[in-house]
Amino acid sequence: MMIELKKVSKTFPGSDRPSVDQVSFRVNQGNICVLLGPSGCGKTTILRMINRLEEPSSGEIIVNGENITGVDPPILRRSIGYVIQQIGLLPHRTIEQNIALVPELLGWSTSRTMKRVRELLEMMGLNPEEVARKYPYQLSGGQMQRVGVARAMAADPPIMLMDEPFGAVDPIVRIRLQDEFLSLQQRLGKTICFVTHDINEAIKMGDYLIIFNQGRLVQMGHPIDVLISPADDFVLSLIGDDRGVKILDLTKSEALMEPAGEIPGDLIESGCVVQSIQPVKAALEVMMKKNSDQVGIFRGDQAIGLLSWDRIKKHVNRVSG
Amino acid sequence: MEAMTIGAPMYILEHLYLVLIPMGIALVIALPTGIILTRPGYRHLSRRTMAVLGAGQTIPPLAVIAIFFPFLGLGYGPAVLALTIYALLPIARNTITAISGVPEDIKEAASGMGMTPWQVLKSVELPLSVPGIMTGVKTSAVLTVSTAVLAALVGGKGMGAIIFAGINFFRPELILAGTIYIGTMAIIMERFITMMEWMITPAHLR
Repeated sequence: MMIELKKVSKTFPGSDRPSVDQVSFRVNQGNICVLLGPSGCGKTTILRMINRLEEPSSGEIIVNGENITGVDPPILRRSIGYVIQQIGLLPHRTIEQNIALVPELLGWSTSRTMKRVRELLEMMGLNPEEVARKYPYQLSGGQMQRVGVARAMAADPPIMLMDEPFGAVDPIVRIRLQDEFLSLQQRLGKTICFVTHDINEAIKMGDYLIIFNQGRLVQMGHPIDVLISPADDFVLSLIGDDRGVKILDLTKSEALMEPAGEIPGDLIESGCVVQSIQPVKAALEVMMKKNSDQVGIFRGDQAIGLLSWDRIKKHVNRVSG
Repeated sequence: MEAMTIGAPMYILEHLYLVLIPMGIALVIALPTGIILTRPGYRHLSRRTMAVLGAGQTIPPLAVIAIFFPFLGLGYGPAVLALTIYALLPIARNTITAISGVPEDIKEAASGMGMTPWQVLKSVELPLSVPGIMTGVKTSAVLTVSTAVLAALVGGKGMGAIIFAGINFFRPELILAGTIYIGTMAIIMERFITMMEWMITPAHLR
């Protein structure tokens, strides 16, 4: 367990209500924990208390076994990656110099830093030759956002705090950035606290969701558990009416199929098959495209089952309550 | 014609002193003060300070000299004092405006990455404020060049001596000469400061 909040509260001066009210939760190592909620629910404040950009009015925050009030804030922050929605690249420094910021603060040698900068640019899908010497104003929104993430990862911090990191770009670019980041995270396994107000982003990115409303923690759990059993009407309305369909996106085909050793030849011929780990939604799409009532399920090259439209319908019915 | 050549260099030099010395003092006072007034603990003082400096600007320079006459007498001293007071405001005000104008998200990102407040000031806020601060310095310089003319009235000499001599003795060519000299001086100073500004402006703004 990497990050722990114990009964953390924050009331801003001049306000009569707490912005964060007795919040406790844990973030496990290697997980993306999503803090979800509407504007003003306190999620960003909580994030900023973890790297001491805000100080709690009461409660404890423990990072890596140590109470963070015992660590000098700038030192703490150099070990935690921080990505914000507006990105905040230094306009008067080149991309190289921007990414090199924390390594320089930590006293890395120039050669080690430059090597790391190249590595990060490539990791983020940017061409170092093209981009390293440019200034932020010369980059597109998507490129800047990638540089923002690269900069946060420069010193390879085990923990990252991300506040709507993909919010400043258009939806098409956002989806790509999300996908790329997820595949990066598979390789790197960082501990990430991710703030968003978008339920779809939360479900897609999160290993674990924590939902807030007006400063209070309302529900915690794996995305699919939250979708199946929302804690109250607020969470229900946050999830949206289409939670049955959202669940399809998260459920693997193998979870709903009927096991079978053989699959009808015409299904195989027409290509009406999906892999067992693909979401049920993908199976549904194939069914609709091929105009079929059922889909063959394969694990690799081996046929293992059948998934019918009927079963999907019953499942959505059951979980939608 | 004589005024244009023989006596002129001495007066030009005196005038230059009357500009550079107050400017120097003003920079040493106004820049740090402006910076301090943008720091979190002192921000609430900035409005009041600006109000005081602004009010000071409305007092005619001659009145300032008159006020300090019992303590400093006439001549160089009070002239420099009055000019310094006038040189302070544009520098302080522009410094505060420029530093406050640095976008919040840039400062937030810099702090969030682990820069200390001093590092944020030195590496982020100040470089990005250079254009604004230099505008203040330029304004102050040009203002001082023209206000320094008044120093002549209290024996501080400078180009004012030539201009007032022209007024008192009905020799318009002296007035013209004096005016041309200080006009040229103002332009040269402004260009010089602009050149220096260009040298310290961060690369992305050039």
